[in-house]
Amino acid sequence: MAPEAQAFALPAEDLLPIEERRGYGHVLPLIEGNKSYTQVTEEVFSTTEKMPPLKWWLALSVSFSLLLLGAWAVTQTVTRGIGTWGLNRTVGWAFDITNFVFWVGIGHAGTLISAILFLFRQRWRTSINRAAEAMTIFAVMCAGMFPIIHMGRPWLAFWATPYPNTRGSLWVNFKSPLLWDVVAISTYFIISLTFWYLGLVPDLATMRDRAKSKLRKAIFSIFSLGWNGSNRTWSRYETVYMLLAGLSTPLVISVHTIVSMDFATSVIPGWHATIFPPYFVAGAVFSGFAMVLTLMIIARKVMDLEEYITVRHLEAMTKVIIATGMIVGMAYGTEFFMAWYSGNSYERYLFMNRALGPFKWAYWTMVSCNVLIPQLFWIRKVRTTPWMIFILTIFVNIGMWFERFVIIVTSLHRDYLPSSWAMYSPTFIEVAIFLGSFGLFFTCFLIFTRLLPIIAASEVKGVLKHEEH
Amino acid sequence: MRVWKSLGERRGLIKKTKAEFSDELPVGESVRQISRRDFFRFSGVGFAAGLAISCKSKTVEKALPYLNAQEGLTPGAAQWYATTCQGCSASCGVLARSRDGRPVKLEGNPDHPMNRGGLCAIGQAQTRGLYDPARLKQPRMAGQDCDWKTLDADLTARFAEIKAKGGKLRVLSGTLTSPALKAAIQAFLGGFKDGKHVVYDALSCAAIPAAYERTHGTKALPHYRIEEADFILGIEADFLGTWIDPAGFTRSYASHRGPDNPRPMSKHVQAESGMSLTGSNADERIRLAPSEIVPFLESLSAALGTGKPGGELRKELGHKAEALAHELMKHKGSSLVLCGLNELYAQILTARINHLLGNDGKTVDLARPSLQKQGDDRALAAFIKEMSEGQVDAVLVVGANPVYDLPTEFSAAFAKVRLRVSTALTADETAIACTHLAPDHHWLEAWSDAEPVSGTLSLVQPLTNPLFQTRNSLENFLSWSGRPATALEHIREQWRKEVFPRQKTVTDFDTFWNGVLQKGAVQLDGSPSSPAYKEDVNASFRERIATKSRPYELLLMAKVGLGDGRHAFNPWLQELPDPITKMTWDNYLSLSPAAAKGLGLEQGDMAALRPEGLPELALPVLVQPGQDDRTVAVALGYGRKEGGPKDWKTVGSNVYPWRSLASGFLSASSSALQIRRTGGRAELAATQDHHSLEGRELVREMALAPYLRDPASARPHEQPGPSAYSPHPHGKHRWAMVIDLNKCTGCSGCVIGCQVENNIPVVGKEEVARKREMHWMRIDRYYEGSEAEPKVFHQPMLCQQCDNAPCENVCPVLATVHSEEGLNQQVYNRCVGTRYCANNCPYKVRRFNWWSYPTTARSSAWRSIPMSRCAAAASWKNAVSASSA
Repeated sequence: MAPEAQAFALPAEDLLPIEERRGYGHVLPLIEGNKSYTQVTEEVFSTTEKMPPLKWWLALSVSFSLLLLGAWAVTQTVTRGIGTWGLNRTVGWAFDITNFVFWVGIGHAGTLISAILFLFRQRWRTSINRAAEAMTIFAVMCAGMFPIIHMGRPWLAFWATPYPNTRGSLWVNFKSPLLWDVVAISTYFIISLTFWYLGLVPDLATMRDRAKSKLRKAIFSIFSLGWNGSNRTWSRYETVYMLLAGLSTPLVISVHTIVSMDFATSVIPGWHATIFPPYFVAGAVFSGFAMVLTLMIIARKVMDLEEYITVRHLEAMTKVIIATGMIVGMAYGTEFFMAWYSGNSYERYLFMNRALGPFKWAYWTMVSCNVLIPQLFWIRKVRTTPWMIFILTIFVNIGMWFERFVIIVTSLHRDYLPSSWAMYSPTFIEVAIFLGSFGLFFTCFLIFTRLLPIIAASEVKGVLKHEEH
Repeated sequence: MRVWKSLGERRGLIKKTKAEFSDELPVGESVRQISRRDFFRFSGVGFAAGLAISCKSKTVEKALPYLNAQEGLTPGAAQWYATTCQGCSASCGVLARSRDGRPVKLEGNPDHPMNRGGLCAIGQAQTRGLYDPARLKQPRMAGQDCDWKTLDADLTARFAEIKAKGGKLRVLSGTLTSPALKAAIQAFLGGFKDGKHVVYDALSCAAIPAAYERTHGTKALPHYRIEEADFILGIEADFLGTWIDPAGFTRSYASHRGPDNPRPMSKHVQAESGMSLTGSNADERIRLAPSEIVPFLESLSAALGTGKPGGELRKELGHKAEALAHELMKHKGSSLVLCGLNELYAQILTARINHLLGNDGKTVDLARPSLQKQGDDRALAAFIKEMSEGQVDAVLVVGANPVYDLPTEFSAAFAKVRLRVSTALTADETAIACTHLAPDHHWLEAWSDAEPVSGTLSLVQPLTNPLFQTRNSLENFLSWSGRPATALEHIREQWRKEVFPRQKTVTDFDTFWNGVLQKGAVQLDGSPSSPAYKEDVNASFRERIATKSRPYELLLMAKVGLGDGRHAFNPWLQELPDPITKMTWDNYLSLSPAAAKGLGLEQGDMAALRPEGLPELALPVLVQPGQDDRTVAVALGYGRKEGGPKDWKTVGSNVYPWRSLASGFLSASSSALQIRRTGGRAELAATQDHHSLEGRELVREMALAPYLRDPASARPHEQPGPSAYSPHPHGKHRWAMVIDLNKCTGCSGCVIGCQVENNIPVVGKEEVARKREMHWMRIDRYYEGSEAEPKVFHQPMLCQQCDNAPCENVCPVLATVHSEEGLNQQVYNRCVGTRYCANNCPYKVRRFNWWSYPTTARSSAWRSIPMSRCAAAASWKNAVSASSA
């Protein structure tokens, strides 16, 4: 067995003193309630085997309604044209690409938690990584929808992929950041899905073993890939998991770097900035963690998982939020500095216009939500009180949506020639598509919580206290 | 017959159920008796009947112009014919491009001596009128469609009746530049005891000929030779936009505006109350109220040595007038003073000033006067009086819409005439008040001729067969005079007799005729003498009308796109952004920033305006920098209600009723104005909302003197920095287009030209308000300096065909690529519509089809082409603005 795997399997009671010795101060337990393996198995898997409760059905009906609303709005867009949106000759992207970048950002946390935290041996990740990864996949699905429907002829979206064709020399433009996007997002989606599925395999085997009906057994037999729990299986599993974690890590950086290049490689003031890749990655982690927290706080409450997703998990994530939030805040400041320092009148005007122009309300919403409000996380009481965290993460979600809106719309609406300056306001269709993306996301997530274990039971068992055994 | 479906059934293992799959078809007895032959018989009859029914409902439409190809005609290759634009009375020479027998595009004829290749927006948009769905398709009598025979028979009988009783018949027309038509009308009127031809112009200049009658004894509109003037003083004359001959004047003006020309650049001073296109191009602009124009002219005249300064004039205007007089004197014989006010005394003063400056015979040509405005407002007033007294038996309206564009007393008087005939192309306001409609051809279908300036003649030749059952007005008058002939025969005959002998270059008529037809125009020989100045200054002074200076004064102007309103149903022109305000699809109440502030009005507010004693109209407010603070300006030509397509919503309000003939000449009411805020706001659809250059060096300019001292001081553009990509390989050819910004006046003819050439859709007011206009080329207009007296810049903005184009790099599907000849091409079929190219275009010239415009608006997008842009090499001309003109 690899030495890493041994460390991974280190019992929790050994870990806590180590962490305290390292100066973490008082450390909250990762899993509360002195659970036995059976208890964990029972509590995690029973949700997938029972009829869902009424509150689940209520939640599903709300999110499915939103999904239907979004589907209607997308149908309107596709059949009638992009004219149903509020875009114009000057502002060619607004809600569509804002939502795209927003969802890609949300989709960042999953892989970051799974892969990077895994590599850094952040053991608190175990309770939340499954749900976070699922969230990534659904968020990337939502994100992927927008570049397709924002096209004037979405039925030809496949032209943006370099597939062999019989149209002679027709090919894609490898100079276009949009093409890089296609590659980056699809790669990210495939790797994230694989990683998530691989992590699920031991739990799928448990589900197979617990299955009562033949059909259920058959299905989970197929998906658990013949898992037998032997040392050899575990060993291979952990090696592959480690490799995949290594493979995913650069993707976390690359995806949002490339998304940022949609803007950074353009010639538009406010977009054309070298700071964009790190700024976007930090922002993505920031928004992704906020969304994970929002979801986890609801899920632990609604699904009685408070003992698995403990305050310690929440606190650890708030620390990531405050760190990335400050990186983002610094980026805002740097942008202004660079605009001034460059001496470029277009850049200077653009940033003054952001802060003081017609969209200043969006800019200051962004600054307050992303830079000012997260400062409250310096207070330990805020970090360890779930409802406070919840409210703050909602602000961060709002702020990060506005960040993308500000970058896209304020840069476009007043660029080089004042003759072409224009305003933008969304139509109902655009808002409906945005709501619909939330509908899609929550519908998928809710179905996931009832179909599969949202806690990685096999991993959680590795961090239990073992005194009683 | 026993049918079995399986072995089990056959052997009796499976019991047959009754209802399902019975062995025999569950049909009635009669059907079962039909034999196979009967079946074929019936279906044969049914098929034939269906065929017969479906054939009957459809008329055969011939879509192919030529069954037998003409010699020398290549399908798809365009042919050019010289003809004469009849969009207004300026009669510019045009070259019409015909494709497969259909006229598709008009260009100015470079060989025409008047416009020399220039063509205005209205001229560019003329092809739309030919294909106008609202055109009358056949004659009409008492509201019923009829054929020409019936109409002719009825009219002949009525004319005979009038002749018999010696009644009065009047032909009322706009300016007709066709000598042949005018002669035919005279011949027709000759048959009547009291027949007269009354001419008026909606945008009247009648005071000018009346003034020259007083000063020079000849009732003529001089031909202003702007190309000969080194110093131009325009006073309320929008000669580059809407006055007399905008395209011709623009051409002449531009010929003198290049610093690199052998002749020095002209100086242009404009004194005006509104902000006109002409004023926006002036080197110096003077703001004055309409009531100050006469005192200003008086001061000018006095400073030049004749007459006395009269009336109250602001001190600074008095000083300006003196300074101008001084400067004008330096350009004796090469200056020109133009006045657009339709007031006799003002025009007498102008004529006098031009005489004092020695401009007669030089920049003011009376020997070969202009025939582009022939209206006689005094005759018109007399005619209306006659009508209202019930003396007139018949009125034939030719090429005019007086019910719409004359003061309201006209319609009341017109109703008293028993026989009312109109030759309008559409059922316009006048036509629906007429008893007989004899629709004329569109000029692209008709033979005619034109004489815009005495001695300069051109031909109008048809580009297509008449689309409908219409008839040339010339043929109308010929047949009503009892000498029916085709227009071609008649014109040829006329030219053989009247025109051919007046030239000596060609000796054979056929050669002469073909030459003119090919070239478009001919200038006749002969040098008539100029009439001499003989003004009685004291008698002139009696014409002075004492005008009261009021807190607000009304200015009724014409807009570049709409002119007098005859083309108000042309969506191209309605959607043309006004060169100054950049507004589309509306007229508005224009106020100076100070006046708007004083009245507590903001742009877009609704305000009601009422000249005392006249109807009130609610109009949206527009704040116009550079406008005089006392002036309230509203555009004419809007509010047309009749003669448009079925679902046309009225655009703007008609302010023609605010004009009167009280002074003897058509002019805006000078009574007190009442302006009040009505509350509520209107959506104004502008293509440009932001008017400042923001201190950006987007328009580069420098004064003439330092440039002439050191032409190298004009800073060239920066060279591009290094690129990560290798430069584009270029083939044998590279395209270039140069726009001479010294000469560009912002007239916007090119905007319509581009729209027509490239089939660019019109999107409508709401979409323009959403900033989704589709014009591939536009004219950006910027103001600089104070709001009260701004400097105006016009900058044509179109695809720059960048060498290292930001739009090309970002397209994921290579739908926009660089051609070997250096153009940015748009591959429509390949475009998926990411709009990234539009975002990344620093000039914001890329246009996206937000809806599927070619099909019904806002219906399916399935056939839409997302990104459109000027791409086809065909529309790019290797054109360098000629500086020789």
